Amino acid sequence: MKNKIITISFVFVIELFFILSIIIKDESISKTERRKLEAFPKLTINKIMDGSFMDDFEDYSLDQFPYRDTFRSIKASVNYYALGKLDNNNIYLNEDGIFKVEPTNTESIDKFINKINGIIDTLNEDNKVYSLIIPDKNYYVEDKLFLKIDYDLLYSKIEKLNTTSIDVRDIMNINDYYKTDTHWRQENLDKVVKRLSEKMDFSYTKLNYKHNTYSKFYGVYYGQAALNGKPDIITYLTNDIINECTVEYLENPNLNTVYNPSKLTGMDSYDVFLDGASSFITINNPNSKDNRELVVFRDSFGSSLIPLLIPYYSKITVIDIRYITSNYYLDKIEFTNQDVLFLYSTLLVNDSSSLKE
Amino acid sequence: MLFSSITFLFYFLPILLIIYFIVPKKFKNLVLFIFSLFFYFYGEPKYGFLLLLSCIINYIMGNLIDKYRKRAKVFLIIALMYNIGQLIYFKYLDFFIENINNIFNTNIGFMYIVMPIGISFFTFQTISYVVDIYNKKVESSKSFLNFATYVCLFPQLVAGPIVRYETISNELKNRESNFDTFALGVKRFTIGLAKKVLIANLLGEMCTSLASLPNGSVMSYLLEAVGYTLQIYFDFSGYSDMAIGLGLFFGFHFLENFNYPLVASSITDFWRRWHISLSSFFRDYVYIPLGGNRVSLLKWIRNIFIVWFLTGFWHGASWNFILWGLYFAVILVLEKKIYGKYLNNTKVLKYIYTIGLVVISFVIFNCETIGDIKIFLSSMFGLNNLPLINTETLYYIRSYLILLIIAIIASTPLLKVIGNKIKKLEFLEPVIYIGIIILVTAYLVDTSFNPFLYFRF
Repeated sequence: MKNKIITISFVFVIELFFILSIIIKDESISKTERRKLEAFPKLTINKIMDGSFMDDFEDYSLDQFPYRDTFRSIKASVNYYALGKLDNNNIYLNEDGIFKVEPTNTESIDKFINKINGIIDTLNEDNKVYSLIIPDKNYYVEDKLFLKIDYDLLYSKIEKLNTTSIDVRDIMNINDYYKTDTHWRQENLDKVVKRLSEKMDFSYTKLNYKHNTYSKFYGVYYGQAALNGKPDIITYLTNDIINECTVEYLENPNLNTVYNPSKLTGMDSYDVFLDGASSFITINNPNSKDNRELVVFRDSFGSSLIPLLIPYYSKITVIDIRYITSNYYLDKIEFTNQDVLFLYSTLLVNDSSSLKE
Repeated sequence: MLFSSITFLFYFLPILLIIYFIVPKKFKNLVLFIFSLFFYFYGEPKYGFLLLLSCIINYIMGNLIDKYRKRAKVFLIIALMYNIGQLIYFKYLDFFIENINNIFNTNIGFMYIVMPIGISFFTFQTISYVVDIYNKKVESSKSFLNFATYVCLFPQLVAGPIVRYETISNELKNRESNFDTFALGVKRFTIGLAKKVLIANLLGEMCTSLASLPNGSVMSYLLEAVGYTLQIYFDFSGYSDMAIGLGLFFGFHFLENFNYPLVASSITDFWRRWHISLSSFFRDYVYIPLGGNRVSLLKWIRNIFIVWFLTGFWHGASWNFILWGLYFAVILVLEKKIYGKYLNNTKVLKYIYTIGLVVISFVIFNCETIGDIKIFLSSMFGLNNLPLINTETLYYIRSYLILLIIAIIASTPLLKVIGNKIKKLEFLEPVIYIGIIILVTAYLVDTSFNPFLYFRF
């Protein structure tokens, strides 16, 4: 009798999911994971013979499996609560949000310093050069068990940058970052602007901004965590100065504003700031009284901070050397007496392989 | 196709089971044969013909050996040349070219041959088939379909165990499936799935994390070595469990391939418990024909080294595997002739000795070059100026602690003993097995591709 039950229940389960796989309609995107789901692959003789049809079908069967999100939650729960794992797919949870495990990569830190110092060598002597290495939110995780970058080591190494370094570790805290995402919150960055003004010598003024919000921001870690929490609220700040700027994007010539609100409902809402991944941006501020220019070398943390620097400059050039080489930007800018700011998060310093020559 | 994949569990198997159990008895082998070919074709579309050719040639040679006894040797040699030639061509040719180039400073071009999945396994099965007919241990198969079904039978096709024809020749002609064998199959298959997906894959994750640590420590190397040993055990024995379980679904009884090797009391004992179908293959088809141990001491040592050179080399066309095999040859000779008796009299030491040597062996096994082996072993033994332990290592020890404890317990017979004692809870069995299937599915849905370690061979 017992063997009958085992046999029948096994066959029932596999046949059930086979049938469900066929009858449940496929989804095209996973909003929480911010990616397209694999569609049923095209069937051609070539794709069968070189095996790519089978590979695609494997992905398809995983992506379109019935109740996939529920299964992923089961797995995450078992990992955390039954196996007592500290992370699931390198994702670590605590009451402050979702974090990613990040071991120290000494070699990458050294490469980063060499890379940036190499760029500084190509600048003009009259350039004033600053660096702000932004602590990522792991810096503020206090759990003893958590594996994060050795920040003491990283920041002591960073002193070798040939720049005036600006440190904001003492004024930031865990609430300045999104819970489900790696980035910092623009609405909390006024204190960072103030700190920059002290070091970079521009006169800080408390400005009034309009707070524009969007309430379903699924950060980059949200989908990876697989345990449904609440999405974040994303806020972007506007005022007349920002609104009246003209902006040129290398990749997106049709856009000429600082923000791109159409991205809010896309895969990554954080792309609202400076259109997300853009290699080369020029922002002209017609309302500027003095003729001061800024060049920023940056990663994605810069996208939300740079708009708040607009009031203090007539022109800001934004460069992301993960996407373009020095040949390109040296062609476009003549370095004279601009302020130059290297604005990078500790995450990028610790994983600098994407920086181009 | 992997047994531990959504496509196998929820597409291939459901369709096969329905068709297999609906068709009349005389078509059952045909169904298995066609599905097995599809199974192979799905993973290796270009080499499907090779598998079929192997079936045809060995089928013909087997029958010729049986029919023309006076010329049997000729047909045996033809069959062996074909089988071994095919293995050399697809698995070892580029390795030979590389080494000839290195030794003689020549510049012969590589063939860049992609090794067909499972060739090491099905070639050994067909070799055992023709040799056993030659030695009159079995009769040749008169039915091509039965023989081809044996060679291609998907449960054991791509990663063993190496099933001999004699084991299932009767079942190919006549076998019974009922609820008892099927349920037994479900249990074995599910346990195998759990070993692979819930233990081996997670240990694999741990090893990958440790191996990719930019800053390692003595403990991180040690943990990786122990983790890899456990991983390969659960991976491979899990695969064998699944194969045995799947065989039972259709009424086939394969022999056991593992018997708790990690609690062996000597390396000699370890090899009686690890990959049994491979070691017994080399015993029966190489070691004993060479004279086994009924020869002079020197010849015996020669025999041991030949067998273990081949065992190592079988695992892959690379020097680390050869070194791995010879490593065991040395230990086996020492155990037999020097210290085996003393070791056997110890109570605990013999287990520590064995597991220690096994862990080191899998470091050799896992490193791609001799240089990597040196670095790994010297780091593991604290000779590379690494810290004893660091934050990263502590994190992974803490994170994988429960899994490691589960894995260590599950690699001993303890669970089986406990399982046999609490018969009262037997009614829970169906719930446990279905629970495992659900859990495995959850882990599969969340992971990308996880190939079995033994697919490389």
